Order: sequence, then structure tokens, then C-alpha cells
Amino acid sequence: MGLARYVVLRVVWAAVVSLVIVTATFVLMAAAPNPAIQEAATQAALEGGDPQQAVERERELRGLDEPLHVRYLDFLTSIYTLEWGWSDHRSQPVTEALVEGLYYTAQYSIPWTVLTVLIGPLVGVYSAANMYSWRDHAATAFAFFGYAIPNFFFGIVLLLLFGVWLDWIPVVYRTDVAVFSLENARQLALPVFVLVTGSIGAVMRVSRNESAEFRDATFMKTAKAKGVSPFRAYAYHVMRPTLVPLSTTLVSQLLAIFLGSSLLVEVVFGIPGLGRLTFEALVAQDTNLVLGATFVFTFVAVIGNLLEDIAFSVLDPRISYDDR
Amino acid sequence: MRRRSKIGYGAGTRVDRRQWLSMLGAVGAAGLAGCSGDDGGSPETPDNGGGVRGLDGIEERPTVSGTYDTVTSASFTTLNPLYNTESGAGTAIGRALDQGYTFDADDEYVPLLYDMSTDDGEVWVFDVREGLTFSDPYGAVDAESFVYQIEELHQSDWALTANATDWTGVNVERTGKRQFQAELPEPQLLWPESFDPLEYPIPKGVLEPYVDDENVEGLRQDEELLELRFSGNLGAFVLDEWDRGAGTTYTRNDEYYIQDADNWSDLFSNAPYFEGASISVVEEQASRLGALETGEADSASVPPERFEEFDNDPDVSMLQIPQPFNRILSVNMRDNGWNAGPGNLFRYVAFRQAIATAIGTDDLIEGVYRGLAEPHHTWQPAWSRWYPGDDEVPFFGTGDRYGAGPARELATTAFDRSAFDYGFDGDRMVTPEGDQVTLDVYHSAGQETAQLIAEYAAQELDDNLGIELDVQAIDGVRFNNEFWTATPEGGTDTVAGESVRWDAPTPNNPGPRSVTSNEEWDMSLVFGLNTYPRNPLTNAAFFDGANARYNPVGYYPEFDAGGLFERARTAATEEELAAAFADVFVELAREQPYVMLAFGDSLTGYNPDLRGPIEDFANGWNAPGWHFAE
Repeated sequence: MGLARYVVLRVVWAAVVSLVIVTATFVLMAAAPNPAIQEAATQAALEGGDPQQAVERERELRGLDEPLHVRYLDFLTSIYTLEWGWSDHRSQPVTEALVEGLYYTAQYSIPWTVLTVLIGPLVGVYSAANMYSWRDHAATAFAFFGYAIPNFFFGIVLLLLFGVWLDWIPVVYRTDVAVFSLENARQLALPVFVLVTGSIGAVMRVSRNESAEFRDATFMKTAKAKGVSPFRAYAYHVMRPTLVPLSTTLVSQLLAIFLGSSLLVEVVFGIPGLGRLTFEALVAQDTNLVLGATFVFTFVAVIGNLLEDIAFSVLDPRISYDDR
Repeated sequence: MRRRSKIGYGAGTRVDRRQWLSMLGAVGAAGLAGCSGDDGGSPETPDNGGGVRGLDGIEERPTVSGTYDTVTSASFTTLNPLYNTESGAGTAIGRALDQGYTFDADDEYVPLLYDMSTDDGEVWVFDVREGLTFSDPYGAVDAESFVYQIEELHQSDWALTANATDWTGVNVERTGKRQFQAELPEPQLLWPESFDPLEYPIPKGVLEPYVDDENVEGLRQDEELLELRFSGNLGAFVLDEWDRGAGTTYTRNDEYYIQDADNWSDLFSNAPYFEGASISVVEEQASRLGALETGEADSASVPPERFEEFDNDPDVSMLQIPQPFNRILSVNMRDNGWNAGPGNLFRYVAFRQAIATAIGTDDLIEGVYRGLAEPHHTWQPAWSRWYPGDDEVPFFGTGDRYGAGPARELATTAFDRSAFDYGFDGDRMVTPEGDQVTLDVYHSAGQETAQLIAEYAAQELDDNLGIELDVQAIDGVRFNNEFWTATPEGGTDTVAGESVRWDAPTPNNPGPRSVTSNEEWDMSLVFGLNTYPRNPLTNAAFFDGANARYNPVGYYPEFDAGGLFERARTAATEEELAAAFADVFVELAREQPYVMLAFGDSLTGYNPDLRGPIEDFANGWNAPGWHFAE
């Protein structure tokens, strides 16, 4: 089986996974009480009306009196045509809300991801090349520090230090500055730094340990014997096999931080991104927006796994497509 | 026809959804806090402090400079004036769109968009100010701009606007190009104080398509309404952008009508005095305070534990603003309350008094609030004109009525009334089975002050009453949905020997004590309530009977609350009104329907160069004149 066929199959599989998730979501929603109906009953009660009548009217209005399969098909159609409804909590269409959130999240998460992917493996391989030297110890200490310190706390400390005491960066995040501007870089420097230190540790440690295995491999000895420079030897011969197991760590790490830490960092730095949007939607019981955000995270996870599988195959041609 | 009087009587007691929400005080969940900043009090003006003196004594016209930037903790759900019920969003709307009127620091009615007058409190005449205009193409603001929305939206059964029930039974009629009148079902001389007749101007042209189709979704989601594009010369600023997660930004409205308004002094002839304004949503408190400290924000709330630090900071001017939202310990008298054993001791007045006696309010205010709160003995702050006076109100938790001795004495009285054999075993309060009495108390998660109060109460109840408290944090929305409210069922119960029916049950009083919320709970500090010092008759919604509209705790008054509120409602003179209120508030202090703890002051830090803020509950009434010192 060739690479193209393998990729196509993986993409189809990803589509099936997303359909399963969407279906499961529909089943859960159909089984759960609808807060809008509860609200209609409450409103009717407050105004001296008949709550039961209000509930029936609301059910009819929202199409909940239709048979289940009709509702399911409607639901599927809406999901795949991106008609995700109205966010009551933000008074705007759900897709617009998500695009807005993604716009701000992307501004810090792209540089964060790029820096993590670049610096993590490089520092790891560098550590392995200088194993047990002071440079290795320094890099390890940095990695463990970033891994151990809670992003939320680290963010506040840095904000107080650089924002309040030194006054080098603004405390209130501004949305009216241009994306590619010095001002934006200044206000995003700290969130990116906090996230990079949080995610780089695991990447760096995995790449250090993996590359240590290959440091003394026979192909390295051959390369050295042939006079290959140390830089080329590590960049070509150690880095590539190291990246195979590392890609698993990278995707899972970045996803975990994307979901958890980015929310905390957004709260501390006042960035109106996807993490805060999702959290606020959950607290406000904004069903449409919670669903929309869940789909976004689900699709990010599905696509992340897809990319990971493809990366495996590209990085190590020995991995057979037939077994996968 | 005379202008509306400063002091009136006989106000209504209906409560609409907006007011329901406004009953929940600042200590409630942010998402639920209603128009809390706009309703309520008329404090005696205390001495100003912190170097900020308001606008008194400023004679020269200020120059326009800078931007007025503030920070807030929660984003806005909607800026649609017809559907907003949040105080934060109300402030955001208010920057760009005025409402009908306001009250100044002397509690005087101040007309903004319209003046109101009455002869008898039954027929009110509204005179719309001349020179008010919407943005193109909607033309001038006139009587129709208000009458149409009142008749076609607020009084309709489909639009479900925030002000819907304000106008129930009110006959509204246009009497001129810029005049209309409202005939009330019964006279209400405190009608403006109830804020029922407070409206935003909305162009008829925006509303008509939705009214024709009875399209409530369309009305809620209309972009012109959500982005206030019609605001014309009706607000101090023009809304530039509402970034849902980040906040709002505004630019100065050069055409602001108040510049030419007769009843506003020369000081306002070029208002507003900022080139722009912004409200930034910053959830993290440390970040908001950092913004205040660095000057990025011109105003921010400060927690009590940081008051002194900011008060000593020359770059911040701290104001201690009295307010009428209270801190109470709610005790659940319904069947799912008192989970320590059989029989619910909270139902006995003596036992609630025992709890109030066991919790020392002096130490609470000094220790938790650092002195930045007022004692709360009855359902009015001491600065209210309706406060009965210290001699009449029984105080608990201080002086002779504080400590283990008096608290245990009161508890023993309650034990004697109970059918179950509760008692003391040494220092411990024990159930009929001889087990330690253990109760839970909930407080809002993430609110340090609430947690400190809960822990302090736990310690005091342990020391003075031998009750063990299990302190638990909870999200405000979850507490509201699962603990505080219940599905309205109605029913009948015997109260003080008389049969009482719940004809109009609400989620906040779903029925007799047998009707309960989904989850069991004993005590709560999650919600505080408004005490309505400007129009105390509104408190009838809490207390005028076991079937009062807002009674989540299942309180059954043991005095003739309904009769006293009726006396207040029909009072012919201010003295009669004050006497009726005095009786109500003395009885409430005695019965402690909610164990009353304190009124925490609103602590706000301002840019020291800002002129305008005052230490008064009416702070902000003259905001168009605020400016930076040159």
C-alpha cells in the first residue's frame, strides 16, 4: 500500500471518528434536559403564566416534538454545514464566536507551537550530545522548572514583575493592535514564554533520552568514521529517528496544554481566546457554544492524530502501511 | 400638576425578572447579578475621602482629554437594551445610550431623556426632552419612541423583554408629539424609585419588522440593537466595537444632547470630557489590580485585604462607597434543610437568633472586612432614611447579645419548642441520638472574602454553640440552579394557625416547605440580597408572607408582615410610612429570616487625577461631567 492510499484511508477513518463523536453528542443532548425549556417554564412562572404551556410552546419552537431520526438528520446537516446556532451567552452566531476565539488563540499558540517544536528537540539533542556536562544539567533544570511550575502562577508572577513593577509590557491585553506589530509581540511575549516553558520540558526530555540511544549507534560510528561533522551527524542521523517517538509526545502534549493551560494563561493575561470562550460557555450553560467548542477541540484532536500518523510514515520509511 | 415629590409613599411591590436578578447582591454569581448598581439606596452623603471630591466647586469648564478606561471581571451577555439584565452590560450600554432619568446624591429625581410629573401618583405624565435624535435614518426621539415599545413589546405576550412586567396593567397613551402619560392600576408616588418606568429610547423603525412577525429571536439578535447603532446624540460616547471576549471601546459623542440641556449646569456644556472610553474584560483579579496600579485602568474594584495598600498608593485614589447589598447567612427552613437530624431547628426564631448571637459581627467586620463594612442588624442599612434607629432594633452578635452564654440560652429555648430531644453534651450540640450536630455551609468558589466569612462562622458556631460546620465552595450558577431554586409547584400550608396558599409559585418560592430544590443544603453564604433603601416596599417581595414571591429558604413570618406592608402601602403621610417601615424592620431584626451579618462597602480605586467620583451610593449619576484634572 502506497503512502497516498494510506493517507486517504487515515482521512476516511478520521471522518468516521468525527461522525461517531457527533452522533454520541446528539444522543447525550437528546437524553439531557434542555436548559432553554427550563428557562421558558421559569419565565412563564415569573410572569404568572402556565409553565407547562410554555414548555410545550418552547419544545415546538425548537423542533423537539419531531421524531428522533428527523432531529438527528437535522442535527447532522447543521453540524456539517457549519450552522451551529446562536450563542445566547455572547449574543452572536456560534461559528463567529469560535472564529473570534481562534483568532486570538492562534496569535499566541502558533508561535508557542513553533517554538516548542523547534527548541524542544534541539535542546534535547544538544543535551544528549553533551550528556552529564554542566550544559546538560542547565538544560535539564530549565526543563524541569518549566514543567513543574504551574502556568497560572508563573504567568501572574511574570505579569507582576514585567507588567506592574518594571512596566515593560501592558497589563491589559488589547485587541485593537495589529496582529503583526511590535505592540502585539510585546503583549504576547509573556503568554508565549509561559506556555513554551510549560511544554518544552517533556519534549526536551524525551528527545534527550531518545537521541541518547542513537548517539552510540553503529550508523553514528560509521558516520563519524567517514568524517561527517558532529552537527550534520546529529541533525541528520540522530534527529530523524528521534522525531518518530517524539511526534507522539508532541501531539499529546500540545493538545493537553491547548485544552488546559491555554485557558489559565488566557485568564491571567486577559486574552479572549478559545479556552476562555469555552470555559465561560460551560459556566453559562450556553449549550450551542459548548457544543461548537467541543467540536473544534475534537477536530483538532482527530487532525492531530492524523498528522501524527502521517509524520510517522514520512519520518521512518521502514514503518509498514500494511500493518496500520 | 406638581413635579414628583422627593418623599412619597404607596409604591408598588411587583417584581419583574430584572428586579429578581437585582435582588441578588454583589456577592452572588456574576452571571446572575442584575441591575444591582442602579437600584436601591439613597445614603446620607458621607464625608468624601481619598482626595476625590466629586464635581462640587468646579467652576471652569473642563477640557476634553484622555480616555476613560475601566476593567471589569465578566464579559457581557448582550448589549441589546431590550434584553439586558446585567449590571455590567448596563454600564456598557449606558456609555452610549442614556435612560429616562437618574437620581442625584441628594436622592432628587434628575431628568435625562424625559421628565415625569404627577398629581396623585396614579396618572404620570412623561415629557420627552426636545432635541433628542437617533442616528440616521430614524429621526427625532419623541413620545412614540417610548409608547410603541411599551405597548408593542413590554406589554405583549411574545417579546419577553427585560422590562415586560414593569408595564403590566399600566395604560399608556400618547398625548402629544413629545408627551405621553401612564395610568397606573393604583397610585404609586414612589413609582420612579421603583425604576419600573425607566426606559431606553428605541427607534420604532428598528422594532416594526419584528413586531409585525412577532419574531422574538430576530429582536434579540438584531445587530443594530446589539451594537447600539441607532444611538444618535443620546449617549456620551459612540460604541465603536464590542469584542465579545475583550470588552467595549467608544469614542466621544460630539453631539451629546446634555451639552444643551437646560437642567444641567454649564459644567456639562461640552460633555463628555474624555476623547474616548473603554471597558476591558479582565477576569483575573491580580491583573485588574495591576492595571489600576500602572494606570492602564482609571477605575477598578479592590478587595478589602488590598484596600490599605492601595489607599497608601499615591497613584490610586481609593473610595469606600456604601451600598445596600447585604452579606447574610441563609438557613434552609425547607424540608431538605437541617440535615443533622430530625426536625428543622432553623424554623424556630430563637434558634436563628442563637446563630446570630453566636457569630460576632464586630470581629467579622474588623477581621474579615478590615473595618470596611457596616454592621447589618435589620433589613436596611443604617444610612437609610427608613432605618428605625439603633434604640429600637435588637442587635445580635455584639455586646450583651454575643457569646456562648446567650447563644446557648436561645438555642435551649428552641430545643424546648422542638418535638425532638436536641441538647448540649458538654461543649457539643447533639442530636436526639447523641451525635454531634454537623451542618454544611456553602460559599462562592473563588471568593476569598466569602470563604473567610464561612470559616469564621464555622469557628464561631463551634466555639459558641458546639455546632460543627462543613465549609464547601460551590459555583454560583450551580448553587442557584440546584440548591437555591426549585420547580414551582404551589400548595397549601398552615402558617401561624392560618391556611396559606401558594397561588403564584416561582422558582425562588416554589411552594410550602415541603417543596424543595434538587439538592439538600443547610446554610449558604453564596447570595446576598438588595435591601432597597430607596423604595423599601420592594422588600415585600421577600417578606410579606410565607408565600412571598422570593423566599428560597422557606421563611414563615411569625408577625403580621402582610399587614405591616399593607400599612406602608396605604400610608397617607411620610410619618405613617416611616412608622410602618420601622415596625417591619424591628420585627425582621427580631426574627432574622436570614442571619444578617454585614454590609460590605464597595471599594473602588480611581485614577487620582479623575474628578467626579464620590463616596455615595449615587456615585456616577453625573458621569458626563467627569474629567481629568489639568
